[in-house]
Amino acid sequence: MNSVLATQADAHRPSDVLNTLKRLGFGAVVSVPDGWLGKMLVRIEHQQTMRLVRATHEEEALAIACGLRLGGVRTALLVQNAGVLSMGAGMVSLAQRYRFPLLMLVSYRGTPDDPVFYHVPKGRVTEPVFRGIGLAHACVDRHRPIGPQVEHAATFAEEASCPFALLLSREDIQW
Amino acid sequence: MVNATVATMRPTRTDYYRALADSLPSQALVVTSLGNASYLWAKLHEAPENFYFEDAMGLALPLALGLAIAQPSRPVIVVEGDGGLLMHLGALVTVGAVNPANLTVLIIQNGVHAASGGQALTNAGLDLAQLARASGIALSENIEKPEALAAKMRDGTARSGAECLVLATEPDLDVVRPPVALDPVVIKHRLQAAIGAPRYVHAVFGGGKLEGS
Repeated sequence: MNSVLATQADAHRPSDVLNTLKRLGFGAVVSVPDGWLGKMLVRIEHQQTMRLVRATHEEEALAIACGLRLGGVRTALLVQNAGVLSMGAGMVSLAQRYRFPLLMLVSYRGTPDDPVFYHVPKGRVTEPVFRGIGLAHACVDRHRPIGPQVEHAATFAEEASCPFALLLSREDIQW
Repeated sequence: MVNATVATMRPTRTDYYRALADSLPSQALVVTSLGNASYLWAKLHEAPENFYFEDAMGLALPLALGLAIAQPSRPVIVVEGDGGLLMHLGALVTVGAVNPANLTVLIIQNGVHAASGGQALTNAGLDLAQLARASGIALSENIEKPEALAAKMRDGTARSGAECLVLATEPDLDVVRPPVALDPVVIKHRLQAAIGAPRYVHAVFGGGKLEGS
């Protein structure tokens, strides 16, 4: 393994996600946690340049994020894929209709890498539902550094004036 | 018929909106939920500082919370219906937890889903001010007169947190025609321009980030 690949493999991907958000000037994160996101949110809560808002429901979180962005704060949503499934109406009639650029970092549960029985039904329908509601998205490539992938997702959201969901695996976000 | 007599004694949304327009704090941003909540406010007080909801029932309150966090030096006033509030009751808890002193929550309590034709609410008789206090918004009370709303809005006393005023209101089922087209993207952009929110500069123009970041 050459040194570049070794560095990529050894990088602490959750740290890279957090550092990328800070470097890009994200001032707020709105979240409903899951098992993978919990410790990341505690880290965010202790950042001086970012504010964490803990919402009670993902559709509510989406609206809070829209309000923050309306007020000029670059904002990311950190939620589980189940949460995106339950925010469909707000996604199409608020975030997409008003064209809010939002970075959505979504824990992708129920994939073959996460075969917990009660997550599997959500994993099976996640991408078809995203396509159905016209939510731009991508799956993280675990063989490439995570930071640039987060940056590209954030940039796409701004350039296209729309929400963009980046589907993340456990090693990307679980601290 | 007692109930009908009592019902006709409640002020209308127009009564409250006129009081609000006359007492609106300087620099205020106003977020209005769907239907007449937006159409009537546009008719009475059209301004770039307004953010009108086209649909997305129940999400005006959480959006206003985000806006209040982002713009702490401006008063943010949100008009939500009792039906919309019940649809996302958790947002009341989140407002109570964050408790931004610049956020004023006005709840039109008319006991029906007015925007969709006046269907009955799941529970029209809740004490919503008590519910708001239990959710962490200590400054919550029921209001029955437009004059009381105006007095609250003119009260310049510094607050320690968000305020929630529940307005006993007669249902208004006739759809009000707004004076202008409420294009969602235009509404968003003009509010952002009015408050001087940083714009995103596209990468092709050498940006790729928000102005000033």
